[in-house]
Amino acid sequence: MNHVLTQSPTAPVVESAVSLPPLKVRRRKSSMKSRPTIGGMIGRVIVWLLVAFNLFLVVWMVMTSLRDTRDIARDPLGLPTQPHWENFATAWNTGGFGIAAINSVVATVVSSLLVVAIAAPAAYVLAKSTRRLSSTFTLMFVLGLGVPGQVLLVPIYVMLAKFQDISHLKMINSVQGLIVVMVGLGIPFTVFLLAGFFRSLPVEIEEAAAIDGSSGIRTFIQIVLPLARSGLVTAFMLAVISGWNETLFSLVMLTTAENRTLPIALLAFLDQSQFNGADWGGLFAGIVLVVTPVLALFIWLGRRIVEGMTVGISK
Amino acid sequence: MATPVISPARGRSTGRPRAGMSAIERSRRRLYWPMLLPALLLMVLFYIVPILYAGWLSLHTWDGINELKWRGADNYIQLAKDPIFIGSIVNTLKILFVVGIVTFVFAFALTMILRDMMGRKFVRSVLFFPTLINAMVFGIFAGFLFSPAGPINKLLAFVGVQDPPKWLAQDNLFNLIMIVMIWSATGYFTTIIMSAVDQIPAYYYEAAGLDGAGPWAKFRHVTLPLAWDVISVCAVLWTMSSVKVFELILVFGGSTAQAPPASTWSTALYVYQAAFGGGSREFGVSAAAAIVSLALVTVLTIGLRRMLRREAIEI
Repeated sequence: MNHVLTQSPTAPVVESAVSLPPLKVRRRKSSMKSRPTIGGMIGRVIVWLLVAFNLFLVVWMVMTSLRDTRDIARDPLGLPTQPHWENFATAWNTGGFGIAAINSVVATVVSSLLVVAIAAPAAYVLAKSTRRLSSTFTLMFVLGLGVPGQVLLVPIYVMLAKFQDISHLKMINSVQGLIVVMVGLGIPFTVFLLAGFFRSLPVEIEEAAAIDGSSGIRTFIQIVLPLARSGLVTAFMLAVISGWNETLFSLVMLTTAENRTLPIALLAFLDQSQFNGADWGGLFAGIVLVVTPVLALFIWLGRRIVEGMTVGISK
Repeated sequence: MATPVISPARGRSTGRPRAGMSAIERSRRRLYWPMLLPALLLMVLFYIVPILYAGWLSLHTWDGINELKWRGADNYIQLAKDPIFIGSIVNTLKILFVVGIVTFVFAFALTMILRDMMGRKFVRSVLFFPTLINAMVFGIFAGFLFSPAGPINKLLAFVGVQDPPKWLAQDNLFNLIMIVMIWSATGYFTTIIMSAVDQIPAYYYEAAGLDGAGPWAKFRHVTLPLAWDVISVCAVLWTMSSVKVFELILVFGGSTAQAPPASTWSTALYVYQAAFGGGSREFGVSAAAAIVSLALVTVLTIGLRRMLRREAIEI
């Protein structure tokens, strides 16, 4: 039974990856680079247009967030004549984005730290253990990746509500409840990602530590974790990004303004503008608040984020 | 949506402690359960129990307040007769196949174009970035850009198109949603496929070139077979993420205080609307829809893997 189960859904890739000799990434030399064909030229033009469009969206978003709402409605693509910083003030105070930004930061950072702290030891034992049970557990985490959030939505909501009744700890409509959910939901991916990193660490170093008399837990904390630092940072960053963008559960759980996270505040702002008329300036200021932290992270740690999200697939 | 690949637990697993086990092995065994248990517990609480609970709820009728009543398979029968639910399945399948295939074609085209292009890293980063942003933002952007007096129509009028399509009319809305999805997913899959293609040694292309292969023949007979494993993993990744699509559809059109038009719903939207979308809470129906979407993603993933299975080609 176990034997059948050990065939993970991604196993064939792994087999081929294992059987491959370590290949160096080689790029075609410049001799091949010359003479782009007509089709190639057209392709390049299209690619650069696409890049220009994406960059334009970012610039346009920032510009629009600094313009007067009436100006925006009149000419959506115009430049700000003078910066209307009050859009941000409005969004931050009356739009509820201020409290939402604080909630988002707290929920995201705390849940990401917790999920990495809980997933790292598990990923380590799964990566290094030779027990047969381990591959069953590994498979369980892998399968968890494929479960759509909506399947868990109602059950988790009901379970939290019941837990709240029993324990009198606030779960529904509270940031701490959202943190609990984000930690729980983030476990499979983080375990999965970190197991890959731990597996790539050389076993010799731990053996040397053991020979020097280091206990298992000390080896893990003092030797393995520092070695896996880049993996832990990547896992943390990816948890931050997915936590920052979490919408489905936040939408169901966080009902009042003082508990909203940024995506929910954005939705609430949209709803409000149904009745009060659209405040485009404030809306774009809110969008800037949602997008900018991710953009900053990406500029700072882009390579790591990209590798974390694609690692192993192409290995 | 990112997924690294896990490899099966390594080495000679006997499952039983052996005499003469190394010290490192012994201490590892002692730490096995303490390190694994927290993550395992969360996995059980946030994935396994909720899925079982959803299965149980789907056989009942419940509004979350009153007594739970047994309903047998009636929830499922009701879903099968509900044109909105059938529509949401069709939409999810459209996202999976139409958006998926177009995205893959684009991703491959981009990979081929970017292969010898200047600034490929930069281009890749810019195209990758939308993957990291809450799709809600793109929904708002599209609602703004494509509004009747919006920039796109002004631009079209400027080039002489006097009668632009009604982008945000019900009939076109889902198509527009699919276009936005293609735009935001292409960069991610381009990045994965690119790193696979990068590992194909240049001399394969040179050899093919000497044999008189043109760009298409090189793509068909070198790139495609050698990147096949990665493509099949990408297909599975896309299947999983296409069933989860939620935020984009929820806000599409810019300002929806109420639910978006039912013709654009995905299964995730349906689950959310049935349980929390105003009106009476139908947790039973919602859970049944959730179970159907879990079954859908399972069947599709297994089916796709079967379909795309091939002998791994060793480089």
